[in-house]
Amino acid sequence: MLGIFTMPTHRVIAIDYESDILPILAQHCIDCHGPDTSEAGLRLDNMLSALKGGDSGEATVVPGASDRSYLIARITHKDPSKRMPPDSDPISEDQIAALQQWIDQASAWETVAEQLTDQTITHWSFEPLVRPEIPSTTNATSHPIDAFITAKIRDLGLQPSETAGREKLIRRLFFVMHGLPPTPAEVAHFVSDDSEKAWETLVDRVLASQRYGERWATHWLDIVRFGETTGFETNRERPNAWPYRDWVIEAFNSDKPYNDFVAQQIAGDAMGEDVATGFLVAGPNDIVKGQDRLLGLMQRQDELADMINTTGTAFLGLTLGCARCHNHKFDPITQSDYYSLQAIFAGVSHNERSLPLDPASEGQLANIDKEVGLLKQKLQPYLYDPNRSLGGTAPLKPKVLREPVNAKVNIEQFQPVRARLLRFTIEATNQGEPCIDELEIFNGDQNVALASSGAKASSSGDFVHPLHKLVHINDGRHGNDHSWISSKSVGGWIQIELAQLQSIDSVQWGRDRTGRFGDRLATDYRIEASVDGSSWTLLCSSNDRQPFSQEKPKEPTYDFASFPDEEAQLGRKLHGKLLALLAEREKLAARTMVYAGSFAQPGPTHRLYRGEPTAPREAVPPAAVKSLTPLSLPADAPEQARRLALAKWISDPANPLTPRVMVNRIWQFHFGTGLVDTPSDFGTSGSRPSHPELLDFLASELIQSGWSLKHIHRLILTSKTWRQDSRPSDQAIAIDATSRMLWRFPPRRLEAEAIRDSMLAVSGKLDTRVGGPGFSGFEVQPENVRHYFPKTSYGPDDWRRMIYMTKVRQERDSVFGVFDCPDFNQVVPKRTRSTTPLQALNLLNSPFVLQQADFFVQRLDDESKTAESKIKLAFNLCFGRDPEPIETQSSIEFINDTNWHAFARAMLNANEFVLIP
Amino acid sequence: MHSPINRRSLLLDTSRGLGGIALACLLNEQGLLANPSSSVPEIDPEHPFASRKPHFPAKAKRVLMIFCSGACSQLDTFDYKPELIRRHGEPLPGGENIVTFQGGQGNLTKSPWAFKPRGECGKMVSDLVPMLGELADDMCFIHSLTGKTNTHGPGENFMSTGFTLDGFPSMGAWVTWAMGTESQDLPAYVAIPDPRGTPQSSVNNWGPGFLPAAFQGTDFNASKPLRNLDRPESIDQATDRKTRDFLSKMNRRHLENYPGDSELAARISSYELAARMQLSVPQVSDLSSETADTLRMYGADDSQNPLKAAYAKNCILSRRLIEQGVRFVQVFNGAYQTGGEGVSNWDGHKDLENQYSKHGPVLDQPTAALIRDLKQRGLLEDTLVVWCTEFGRMPTFQAGASGRDHNPEGFTAWMVGAGVKAPFTYGATDEFGYKAVENVATVYDFHATILHLLGLDHERLTYYHNGIQRRLTDVHGHVIRPILS
Repeated sequence: MLGIFTMPTHRVIAIDYESDILPILAQHCIDCHGPDTSEAGLRLDNMLSALKGGDSGEATVVPGASDRSYLIARITHKDPSKRMPPDSDPISEDQIAALQQWIDQASAWETVAEQLTDQTITHWSFEPLVRPEIPSTTNATSHPIDAFITAKIRDLGLQPSETAGREKLIRRLFFVMHGLPPTPAEVAHFVSDDSEKAWETLVDRVLASQRYGERWATHWLDIVRFGETTGFETNRERPNAWPYRDWVIEAFNSDKPYNDFVAQQIAGDAMGEDVATGFLVAGPNDIVKGQDRLLGLMQRQDELADMINTTGTAFLGLTLGCARCHNHKFDPITQSDYYSLQAIFAGVSHNERSLPLDPASEGQLANIDKEVGLLKQKLQPYLYDPNRSLGGTAPLKPKVLREPVNAKVNIEQFQPVRARLLRFTIEATNQGEPCIDELEIFNGDQNVALASSGAKASSSGDFVHPLHKLVHINDGRHGNDHSWISSKSVGGWIQIELAQLQSIDSVQWGRDRTGRFGDRLATDYRIEASVDGSSWTLLCSSNDRQPFSQEKPKEPTYDFASFPDEEAQLGRKLHGKLLALLAEREKLAARTMVYAGSFAQPGPTHRLYRGEPTAPREAVPPAAVKSLTPLSLPADAPEQARRLALAKWISDPANPLTPRVMVNRIWQFHFGTGLVDTPSDFGTSGSRPSHPELLDFLASELIQSGWSLKHIHRLILTSKTWRQDSRPSDQAIAIDATSRMLWRFPPRRLEAEAIRDSMLAVSGKLDTRVGGPGFSGFEVQPENVRHYFPKTSYGPDDWRRMIYMTKVRQERDSVFGVFDCPDFNQVVPKRTRSTTPLQALNLLNSPFVLQQADFFVQRLDDESKTAESKIKLAFNLCFGRDPEPIETQSSIEFINDTNWHAFARAMLNANEFVLIP
Repeated sequence: MHSPINRRSLLLDTSRGLGGIALACLLNEQGLLANPSSSVPEIDPEHPFASRKPHFPAKAKRVLMIFCSGACSQLDTFDYKPELIRRHGEPLPGGENIVTFQGGQGNLTKSPWAFKPRGECGKMVSDLVPMLGELADDMCFIHSLTGKTNTHGPGENFMSTGFTLDGFPSMGAWVTWAMGTESQDLPAYVAIPDPRGTPQSSVNNWGPGFLPAAFQGTDFNASKPLRNLDRPESIDQATDRKTRDFLSKMNRRHLENYPGDSELAARISSYELAARMQLSVPQVSDLSSETADTLRMYGADDSQNPLKAAYAKNCILSRRLIEQGVRFVQVFNGAYQTGGEGVSNWDGHKDLENQYSKHGPVLDQPTAALIRDLKQRGLLEDTLVVWCTEFGRMPTFQAGASGRDHNPEGFTAWMVGAGVKAPFTYGATDEFGYKAVENVATVYDFHATILHLLGLDHERLTYYHNGIQRRLTDVHGHVIRPILS
């Protein structure tokens, strides 16, 4: 193969590293950048290390181009505080010249470059997925999971535990899969079911229940930091964020193939699943935008970092966020990778978006519009005409005006013209100097006005403000924060000079496409084009638009009274029909708003030196992590295409991380700990799997089953491993205290949501309505800075499952939040499980629990008569079993000494009540 | 897709500096980048709050942090700038190019309050906080703090958690996770919100982030008791006690099925600790045993200024908690924004003189009394008191307004007590008090220093979360050694 770098054809001055360069480096550099200390991850004591560069992400050496090499930049830096070597005199000019020659001598780097190529990173999770052999066991019918698990247990000299009793099994199954206890009837049915497939049937029933999706969506929402307020000090509500929650629930319930589940969350707008992109903007964002430009840039960088980091950890188990300021310390992720990923998301903004209409409604709307058109034609003679009432006869010729301008976006279409220049002149606004956030000029579907495509903007004069600048008119970014304002309120103009003469056929412009601002809107304007700048053609103007008003355009007024009765009657009938149609139209056309992000074509993305917005370096094209598999997109790839490409890259069956990461999560939520116990870090600083072959077996099962998560659940649930008893054994604890090798099923405390839901289930109050807007755990003080006060009294609205409780960032639910509920600000792949006195106080004394205890007593009264039978029912509801005689006895004694409410309160606080057995 | 690691595609990009990762990987294989000595505390699940030794011996055993929410101006309190007074009314040189949070700058504006020499050391402190000024001989000032943000929420997050973003563990959570507490009947970490409500980034200031929830601050104050602490009125004491006994019996019987299960055992002990807290928290919050002299010293009896009296009671409560050995107490002066900017906290954008005239007296006497009281009881020997705020304010008034805009470029904090020099002043802002110029320190340094004073190495106090060994100080921070005694 030919060298990557071209050979110099003349003037070969051989600079030798050993004899000419190393002494210079040894004199000035190698103390800090050598084998003993490699500051900033950089070593210069051999050419290979020098070519690799350091952590900063800057190219220390660009073979053949000393002028682009960071080494030279730093030793020649004008600022002594940034110049290398630090705190000493600059390197002499002769020596610098030698170093430059050394770098410029491209041919000398070829061998080193080859060596670098030959080095391979071997890390288990990046290896291709190969379905492993199932270990042979004595038992031919053995379940593959058991084969993998048992082999390791036996290696440790341990035995698997016996299968747990049926009462325990069904309780465990319902807690793990539904987050709710089984009803006494369900327990009784299973315990007495003597069919061969009793367990499999039960598993199928449990997987088919809606409760399954609600339970597992809770886990997913933790992983993607889904919250329904903005966070930060204002912490405003996002009232239309909940549809994403419902989408996740439904995805689990319908067993949406996991590859689609992944891809749609990144690019659902391209796949007919718009709500899914709620994922992108599920995190917090700071809406306090100051006047300080740097602050705004930092906030935007933080928003994008949140999207990149969540995408990396949730789907790939890679901590991509680590490469924001420097190359990843442990994983093959460079700073350029990070900013290439940023280019993928750079067009995504925190916003609501209206959902597109479904095709059926679209069709209906088209029909209605046709009918409306016909009716209006028929009604034309009746149009109100002041002349006619004075005896005139000729009906007015209606002039069809375009809709009035609006602040968000206006589309101007015209016959294609060839143009080099386009000028937008504003004669009047609704208020103040005119503001335009972006002026887009289209040649077909391509915006040719972008500065990144070589177009140049000029104007009659700019309003001076850090947010509003001339460059914003064609930077590809929308919204008030990236807009241009004219210095003149009347007669100001903005002009775009295209990169070349070409055909254009439409223009789009807006005041603020995010919809926040509606002032400064051009209401009287004209758009002209020119080839040479001297003669101009009018393309369109506000003249043929209805006059601007803040209200909706009015329907014309008709006058039936001045017609003969028969005609008037006909007219009234037609008019009635028209009004009915228009009402229907309005209903059909109403768009649902969803907090699922808005999208706009972004400008170029630059690598930021040390992550500082003030230190942009080279532009980077949108791409994925290059060291895994290449994904290359043109620098100006359309916004949606970028996300779609990444979505496909992540969900490609050849990507070994995606299925491994997900089956591990499933395993974790079954057993409490994943096969890899760092569930969102499959990189080199994460843990290695306890059972690598089992992990790969499950991952390949996931793909082979058509990415069916329910298939994986079924596999796990039908294993003996899952069905083992959970009792500890001294001998096994001594060898494997945490039961990581699964010689038993490890018991654990339920999570906050499951504890609350279980209480409601036991008290008989649980409302199992699925989906829709949530309920609030707080009274909200609606000041600029929102404040949330925990509710102190509760009613039927609060009896729904906790997944439907509006997730207010920072403010955890006042009763159950202390059970390690995340605050939805950071991704939480695995909750901590702590035990605190505050938990005890909340379960003992909170009005919520006391009220549920009341309902529980009421239920016992309603469903049973004698004390014994009530106690029996209580034990079955709370613990899924009959009481032992001694328990009945001590319960009766306790109740006689106190009351039934005290008994209910104790039951709801019991360890057994909150334990996955 | 083909080979999982495409080395060649990597190399082709060497011109963009991608080569570095290979080295990182090689070094990692050789263990060179491994975390040198992170230290995870050994926590007994049954006694998560048991007192644990720090990394090395240190004087300070506990921390009392006084946090002024809203960004208390250094220029009207502790950072004396004669040049600002001299050039009052002149433009700030270069100020026309400075856009701060709310916009452009007006002229340099001296404090409406005069500065006077205080204590034997003669430290200049303003008349806004004269009683605190009297304690100058006990104080160690840092005038050169710098922050990373000029908005309140992120600013409070930064000061309390070391990150501007939401969701990271607070300093108190880190400290109690590392060291547990000395009092087994009280929460290890107590946050005392202002009488008017929680601070601007609310519970983030004392949240556990990704640390176990057990280590979050428990929030209550003298006027708002701990939620769900008290036995409900509808349940009499005997029934309550019998219910606990019945529950305990039930749990112990259940434990026989899981012998040695520490999580279940921990849950049983958490109910016992809860019962003890039901006695100890009301006791520690009951100020009726405080003498009239004490109440007067703090200003808790000030019937003319109920807000000051309420804050004073919070200060007395802080002292009582510190006396009981609570590891970390965080008392707030200033609440979330309500009623407009700067009304409920130190955010004096538009009407600074008027607003600070109200805030100064609320802060001054009670806080000063708290420090005197701790001193006279010998508690400063092993307690570190820290006064801080989210960032500073500008030496100019805002264009067209009578107040100061946000300024993270240079601001003041002070410490009193165990392990710090006093009287002492470290670092300085420029002649107008705008930017830190001498011994510039970061909030990371400030945090590293507080941990150091407790005997904790901020680089070793790490917690693995989501692929990263997280620290209070992220990847920054140097102990400010010159202020150590």
